[in-house]
Amino acid sequence: MYSDQHLRVSDAERKAASGQLAEHFAAGRLDQAEFDDRVGRAISAKTRGDLRGLFADLSETGAPTVPELPRGGGGSPGDGPRGPGSPIEFRLDAASGVPTYLQLVHQVEHALRLGYLTLGDQLPKVRDVVASLAINPNTVLKAYKELETKGLTAGRPGQGTFIQATLSQVALPELAGLRKALLGWLTAADGAGLDEDGMVALFTSALRDFHERRSGSRTRGGAASSETEGVA
Amino acid sequence: MNMNVVEASGLGKRYGGTWALRECTLAIPAGHVAALVGPNGAGKTTLLNLAVGLAEPSAGAVTVLGGRPAGSPAALDGIAFVAQDTPLYKNLSVADMLHVTRNLNRRFDQPYAQARLAELGIPLNRRAGKLSGGQQAQLALTLALARRPRLLLLDEPVAMLDPVARHDFMALMLTAAVDDGVSVLLSSHVLTELERVADYLILLSRGRVQVAGEVDDLLASHRVLTGPAAEVDRYAGRPVVHAGRAEVQAHLLVQATADDPVPPGWTARTASLEELALAYLRQPGAAALHGPGRDRGTEKSEVTR
Repeated sequence: MYSDQHLRVSDAERKAASGQLAEHFAAGRLDQAEFDDRVGRAISAKTRGDLRGLFADLSETGAPTVPELPRGGGGSPGDGPRGPGSPIEFRLDAASGVPTYLQLVHQVEHALRLGYLTLGDQLPKVRDVVASLAINPNTVLKAYKELETKGLTAGRPGQGTFIQATLSQVALPELAGLRKALLGWLTAADGAGLDEDGMVALFTSALRDFHERRSGSRTRGGAASSETEGVA
Repeated sequence: MNMNVVEASGLGKRYGGTWALRECTLAIPAGHVAALVGPNGAGKTTLLNLAVGLAEPSAGAVTVLGGRPAGSPAALDGIAFVAQDTPLYKNLSVADMLHVTRNLNRRFDQPYAQARLAELGIPLNRRAGKLSGGQQAQLALTLALARRPRLLLLDEPVAMLDPVARHDFMALMLTAAVDDGVSVLLSSHVLTELERVADYLILLSRGRVQVAGEVDDLLASHRVLTGPAAEVDRYAGRPVVHAGRAEVQAHLLVQATADDPVPPGWTARTASLEELALAYLRQPGAAALHGPGRDRGTEKSEVTR
């Protein structure tokens, strides 16, 4: 059983492990700090043993959330034997003022950027989203249509909706490095006495400067950049 | 799916000298969860009773499921109705409730009802009156769905339920809408949750239909504008539904799309369904009956006092 303990792991396995940790995090088994820590360790894991250690105190599948929530009709036997289902679960923020379908679209894009969703992954079935969130089915269909229009997903008749393009511009290890740098910055900001709102304000304003500077340099070299866009 | 599940023309109901519903003309297309919203006494229950055939119109006519006269056997066959306050025989066990309902209905899907109740964890030997409020509502809904209707009508189904029970009830109802393509018409005065549940809105006010249309269309054709109160009069020529005005700043809910220009000094944003419904209900003279784009010129608009 432990014979593969020292086998080297691939990026795909590291990514899969991060996805599983995200599920445990979503299910409330890990808090933010534990999650960050374990994803960091998953990304730098060298061997299968390293990866297994991250799950030692966690149940093997995401399944145990189902019996805790005997909500209307979830998990009927007609759902089919497609195994683990979707790697993500939607949630809604009623107070955000963002239309429900857009919240679903954003959550898929967010999961794609962070690598929680990848090519071939299945989105939650419309029925399951409706049953768990108690939202209008046409809202889910509208979100899925929007994702399809954006070229991110494709519907397979009788099976569901699947990811067919990815948004993550950087590979997962780099992403972890950037995250770590950002955490360092946050610590420094905290040390300097900034509260969360202050950090967000500073980040947003810096991002705006960055954006303006970049688009400024684009307009100066306008002809060149539109050519490259034309090629892309 | 081009059928209208409820179609009324000039429909009216008078009790004594009072019109509970007046000159009601609407057509609700199939495939929606439609919400019938209005203050108490607006005519919601009257409209539902007329549509299911429990009341006779004093004027006009109403049909269901593509032209079947309300109350006719053909109409009754395709609909199910849960009246206010989840009517159940409180002294009967859940199993006996199933038995009675099966025998009183021409069509009743017993396996479906039993499977749903098992999923919901509602024990068959418990007396209906001993179930929690949420379970009673779910039992009534399950009995209605076991008739396998194509149109489900619900009168204030969640008014008495706590938030968790409301969520579970809505989930059961919406799952039926997905699984079996059931169209739904429900009345409610709880506005907050409708935005998630309903994709078609009918606003009733003082016995008349004030607004009717797909939620997306309604939201796309209204904007909330915020700006200096002194400039409100600029909008005298435009369809302002409702104006809230303080000393300095004013909020206007206007009939406009995202493409319409916003005057300098003003900001515009999308209205929520709740804001939109409240604005219309506060201005019973304003109307948006035909969705966006059509008949805009004839719509009455209430400009700020």
